[in-house]
Amino acid sequence: MGRPDQANPGAPAARVLIIDDEPQIRKFIDISLRSQGYATLLAATGQEGLTLLASKGSDLVVLDLGLPDKDGKDVLKELRQWSRVPVIVLTVRSGEDEKVALLDAGANDYVTKPFGVEELMARIRAFLRTATRGADDGPIYDDGVLKIDLVQREVSVHGQVVPLARKEFSLLSLLVQQPGRLVTQTQILREIWGPTHEEDAHYLRILVGKLRHKLGDDASDPRYIATEPGVGLRFIAKERQTA
Amino acid sequence: MGAEQAEQADALLGELKRQTPGRLTVFLGAAPGVGKTCAMLIRARELQHQGVDVVIGIVDTHGRSETQTIAEGLPLLPRKKVDYQGRRLEEMDLDGLLARKPAIALVDELAHRNVPGSRHERRWQDVEELLDAGIDVYTTVNIQHLESLNDVVHQITGVKVSETVPDAVFERLRDIRLVDLPARELIERLNQGKVYLPEQAAHALQAFFSPSNLTALRELAMQTVAEHVDADLREKRTARGLGGISIQRHVLIAIDGRGHSEYLVRAGARMAERRGAPWSVVTVETGRSAGAAQHTEDPDRAASTLNSVARDEQQRVMEIDKAFALARNLGGETEVLHNTDITQALLDAAAARGAKSIVIGRTRERLVARIFNRTLTQQLLQRGARYELTIVSTPQARQRSLRLPDVTGELLTRREPLLILVASAGATAIAAMAEHYLGLQDLSLVFLVAVVLVASRTRMISAVITAALCFLSYDFFFIEPRLTFLISAHRGVATVLLFLAAALIAGRLASRLRMQVVALRAANSHATAMQNLGRRLAKAADLRQVIAAGTSALQSALHAEAWMRINGESGPAASTDHVTSKDLMAADWTQQHGQASGRYTDTLTNSAWWFLPVRSDKDGLGVVGLRFPLGMGRLSFEQRRLAESMVEDIGQAALRTQLVSQLEVARVTGETERLRSALLSSVSHDLRSPLSSMIGAADSLTRYGKDMGPEDQQSLLETIHLEGERLDRYIQNLLDMTRLGQQGLTLTRDWIGIDELIGSATRRLQRYEPEVRIEHDVTPKLPPIHVHPALIEQALFNVMENAAKFSPPGQAVRVQVRRIEHDQLQIDVSDRGPGIPEEERRRIFDMFYSVERGDRGKQGTGLGLTIVQGIVGAHMGRVEALPGPEGCGTTIRLTLPWGGYMSQESKENGTP
Repeated sequence: MGRPDQANPGAPAARVLIIDDEPQIRKFIDISLRSQGYATLLAATGQEGLTLLASKGSDLVVLDLGLPDKDGKDVLKELRQWSRVPVIVLTVRSGEDEKVALLDAGANDYVTKPFGVEELMARIRAFLRTATRGADDGPIYDDGVLKIDLVQREVSVHGQVVPLARKEFSLLSLLVQQPGRLVTQTQILREIWGPTHEEDAHYLRILVGKLRHKLGDDASDPRYIATEPGVGLRFIAKERQTA
Repeated sequence: MGAEQAEQADALLGELKRQTPGRLTVFLGAAPGVGKTCAMLIRARELQHQGVDVVIGIVDTHGRSETQTIAEGLPLLPRKKVDYQGRRLEEMDLDGLLARKPAIALVDELAHRNVPGSRHERRWQDVEELLDAGIDVYTTVNIQHLESLNDVVHQITGVKVSETVPDAVFERLRDIRLVDLPARELIERLNQGKVYLPEQAAHALQAFFSPSNLTALRELAMQTVAEHVDADLREKRTARGLGGISIQRHVLIAIDGRGHSEYLVRAGARMAERRGAPWSVVTVETGRSAGAAQHTEDPDRAASTLNSVARDEQQRVMEIDKAFALARNLGGETEVLHNTDITQALLDAAAARGAKSIVIGRTRERLVARIFNRTLTQQLLQRGARYELTIVSTPQARQRSLRLPDVTGELLTRREPLLILVASAGATAIAAMAEHYLGLQDLSLVFLVAVVLVASRTRMISAVITAALCFLSYDFFFIEPRLTFLISAHRGVATVLLFLAAALIAGRLASRLRMQVVALRAANSHATAMQNLGRRLAKAADLRQVIAAGTSALQSALHAEAWMRINGESGPAASTDHVTSKDLMAADWTQQHGQASGRYTDTLTNSAWWFLPVRSDKDGLGVVGLRFPLGMGRLSFEQRRLAESMVEDIGQAALRTQLVSQLEVARVTGETERLRSALLSSVSHDLRSPLSSMIGAADSLTRYGKDMGPEDQQSLLETIHLEGERLDRYIQNLLDMTRLGQQGLTLTRDWIGIDELIGSATRRLQRYEPEVRIEHDVTPKLPPIHVHPALIEQALFNVMENAAKFSPPGQAVRVQVRRIEHDQLQIDVSDRGPGIPEEERRRIFDMFYSVERGDRGKQGTGLGLTIVQGIVGAHMGRVEALPGPEGCGTTIRLTLPWGGYMSQESKENGTP
């Protein structure tokens, strides 16, 4: 498997700040990240985490919501006042209202406990990839089956051009530009339909259905577009075969 | 505009009422024998041909073959056999008909009186129930049976018809059909024997069938039909917004109960009916009659039934009562007004109802009153110029003689003549003694005092008699020439006449004052009873208490036995025994129909109880039963009104408690739901935390194991092991919790040193959290305690684990053990963490606490402390959260009774 995320082995390692009071959780995330070549910073309390972030800086923050000194959500709010660093939240809650609230409060993504380490790694990679990825990636996505050319506005599956409606293309390009990352419903609705339609989730449902159909995707076993029920959509980036 | 709309809405409502429940079609005839039954059957046959479900409820063909033939094709409901006084009679099977539920039921002879013991006294009540059940009814009735025309018919024919049908039944009317036959033909039919007449009534009815009578009745019938058609048209026009033809005007009918009150009610009702106006009947109670009524209630005087005042008063009350019942039957409202000033009371009532017309009977006009413009009529005309005044002259002159027994009756009361004589004689004696000191004119003041004294104690009439006696005595003894009734000097004449005038005026004033007081008292007694009830009901917290309070208030206010059943709860027990199954039937009926039944009503009259419905907004909540002493033949309107208002209040109170209990149920359900979700959330949280670590660590090893060094691999394996143990502890906690919660926990006590327990808990904790420092401060040489060792160790572990979680790194957890009050053990576990705010300290033992704090709850305040509380509680000890030493952190204090300490000591001493 190697170390696929470290695009430039010579560059300094991306640094991840882990804020969690459970020593065992801190430990395995730390070990896993280090084994993949990332640098880590560890904090047991919210205040400690904020101090570390301010003094040493970090490319990404993994934040546990249950902290002894202050609520994770408060930590998030405080952090967002002066930093735009991507934040992945660890929570034991699985209600989508709670997730939406977290995303609204400034989190970029979330993982529900208990979770497999690969799940967290995929999220971390999704953020650090864009962060490290430069213009060299080009405006073309191609995994061998699906090819998306954002400049030519052309989409093909198995070499066959798929005609997409304007809104369908907008949605696809919005997702593809942030591969692996969660894009919230509200965000999509605002981008595509405008701020007055932020509540009209059914527009999106219909549009996603059409898009999946055209790409030959299956909602129950998605290859490209995964639904996070009640929260948003995520583009599942495949390993690239051609760049 | 608004009034017009309201009127339109009323009309629409009226129409709606006629459409949804059953509708009534009446075949009206002027006399028996005109062919009503025939007409009804023919119409029924027509409908049957059209496929309508028509059933004969009851039709008497009286053996007439033509009627019989028509009836034959129609389905017939078998009649019910009723045994009454040894005879077997047939009645309509009301329940059978209700169960059969045809589209249309034929019910002959609306005015029929049912055999005693039937559900309703009268057939029209059966018909109302059928209509309520949504069954259309075809029925027949003769014009003389209409309640409002009863008097007119009596006047025309001289025959008093007792079986009348209230006009209110006709409010359900869909159609009225006049079955007409010219008088001559009818008489012909009669002579041919084609008209059925009951044997015994045949003779009396012969007079009834005179050509002139029949013509008059026929005209009356036509008029009635025309009026109904008119009213119907008016209502329909209004319903369609075609504009009102008449303006609703309230008609106020005033009665005094001194003869012909019922006549007055009928006349007024007819007048209102013609105008399509609502109407009400009122009577004014002045203190005078109330005072007399009080006398009759006086137990001392109950024996002196010869007391004609009382008898007269009773008669008056009964007449008013009857008139009120009639008014309610005809669809009017009734009210008793309390005021000494009749005119003012009437004008106030008229203003309150927005009445434009006042109907009064011709009053007894005293000459003096007429001269001074003091008659009711004159006063009403003077002071109520805005009102249209209708004076109904009664057929016979109103009994003038009523006044006479009135006067003598008052003289017959025991106390008054004595008082009059004593006062007069006393005044004369004092005047005789004082004559030397006072002048002639001043002597009159002595007599005046006597008159006022009598007036203030008794009634007007006594004051007048006293005045007359004093006047005579004054004249006889003191005016020259003495010992004669002659008066010589002019001045003397003036003096005695002025005295007489002054005595009369003063007497009148004093007695009026007293009347007012008595009137107020009468009005007050109602208010007091209601107030008393309100006070008792306010205290009632549940239905049982409402019933207890309600029945006792009813019992004391009405002097009757009270029984109540609301929402299936009945009481009081003492009265329940007196409610027989027969009474229960009436009670059930009342509850179901929302109408009174039993004694003093027309329904199920053979019950000893009077049942009143307890209603909430729409549906019947229950029923109140009142059993008055057997001797009480009638119910006064005051009692009726008081009972009704009290029952209404009781209903409101019952409804209130019902709502409160519903809220309580909802609250308990909510609480249980909260507990359930708290438990679920706590379980999922406490299980997930170690699981997260285990899954994460195992996953890391699997995926990236080869990328990491051996120490890291070892560390992850350790994590899996430790978290596995932690998970096991949580599960143990859960099991403990369940056992504690099920009350099935048996303590297996043993003697053990507290230091051993603390040592064990510390070792367990340090294995899991190696970096935690724990300081022990245990009083040395403490005797062992008698507890369930495993449970107490678990409790100590939970508390210490909790403290460790809150302790900042490097700070020690302090465990201090002390013996207090000789037989108690106190264990303080303190941390130096952030501490717990005062108001939350109690709640940390609450199972909800961890949920409400969200993800932060994972520091161990989930089930852990709840279990501690359970365990310590089972040992009769207590747990509390206190601020930590030196003002920072938290101290959890466990206090345990030493258990068998004393017995341990005695065991060591060798005594049991």
